[in-house]
Amino acid sequence: MTGVAVAGQNRRHTSYFGDRLIRSLEYLRFKARSHNAAFACETVSRVVSEQTKYHLYMDMFPMEWKRSTTSLYKAGHFKAYSERTNEFFQLVNDQCFPLLEYWHDEPDLELDRFAIPPMNFDLCCEEVDFSGLRVSYLAGLMFYFVEDDEIWTFFSEKYGIERKTLPAIKASPHARVWQEKQNAETKPYSNLIRLVDHSTGNPWLDVTHCQYPEFFEWSKETVDWLTEKYRAANQSFRSLEDLDERIEEDAQKFMFELVSFWNTGKINP
Amino acid sequence: MPGDDSSLELLRAEDERINPAIILADRLVRRDAERLLTVDEVAEAEKVLGIGTQEIEAIEFHRKAFLKTPASAINYVPIGF
Repeated sequence: MTGVAVAGQNRRHTSYFGDRLIRSLEYLRFKARSHNAAFACETVSRVVSEQTKYHLYMDMFPMEWKRSTTSLYKAGHFKAYSERTNEFFQLVNDQCFPLLEYWHDEPDLELDRFAIPPMNFDLCCEEVDFSGLRVSYLAGLMFYFVEDDEIWTFFSEKYGIERKTLPAIKASPHARVWQEKQNAETKPYSNLIRLVDHSTGNPWLDVTHCQYPEFFEWSKETVDWLTEKYRAANQSFRSLEDLDERIEEDAQKFMFELVSFWNTGKINP
Repeated sequence: MPGDDSSLELLRAEDERINPAIILADRLVRRDAERLLTVDEVAEAEKVLGIGTQEIEAIEFHRKAFLKTPASAINYVPIGF
């Protein structure tokens, strides 16, 4: 039983016995320690934090809030929060971005600040998986694994491209590679290098497992921004499909242009 | 009697009041969670939280200072001894 009954056809929720009991027990738990100022501060923080999430829930998912029958008092999966707040977390996870995956799976966890899981390949500690990565992404990785024979063997065996047939790869890219303004020809190469370099400005693509995670606080602006960035991150990976097709058409040309762009900021130097 | 600036006198001179976070916490726990707090109420809660936390820190600071104060003999016998 959730402790909440649905009254009438307007689906207005009325606290039922279970919820009232939980609420009373909560009050007794509070009363037993209410002389303690530190505990009182904790209680105020907790109530304000939960209320902030209810406001966000109502604001972002008004229909679901109206329909919801989950308890505002009973603890949910994440024990520090009510069932209703847990429902909000689930909605964000289902409709906005992955919130409850990766490191957010412990029921004892406090989610007042949350981190996001990296979507990009980790340059620092992941093994290059030649079968699991898109070929265009591997082409971008070439600049960071330039002395790695395996990556050259891959391109040699699959596309007949030899390192000596390409311009010598400079140790660092030309400054133009990072310019925001690119023409239609250079933009896909710039985007690819930015993606592989974790320099997109999109947190979903730029964070790695090896760095201390950035923590986000609950506000509509933050949730909207992360949702938009999550969609953009997925779009970045989808756009690799076009690059893959271009490699399939003429791998030598693609690789030559990519290396030229890295070295000089131009496709045809 | 001890001098005006003794720790005990300073302590006695302090206003006696309940930490405002305790009063607010009681009010918040009693209210119906379905009636959401307004922006003003949240702002007020945050203000009270700030004052409450400051008070805890101040008391903790004074308690530590008080414990460090060396014991000194008094020139009268307190009632009950």
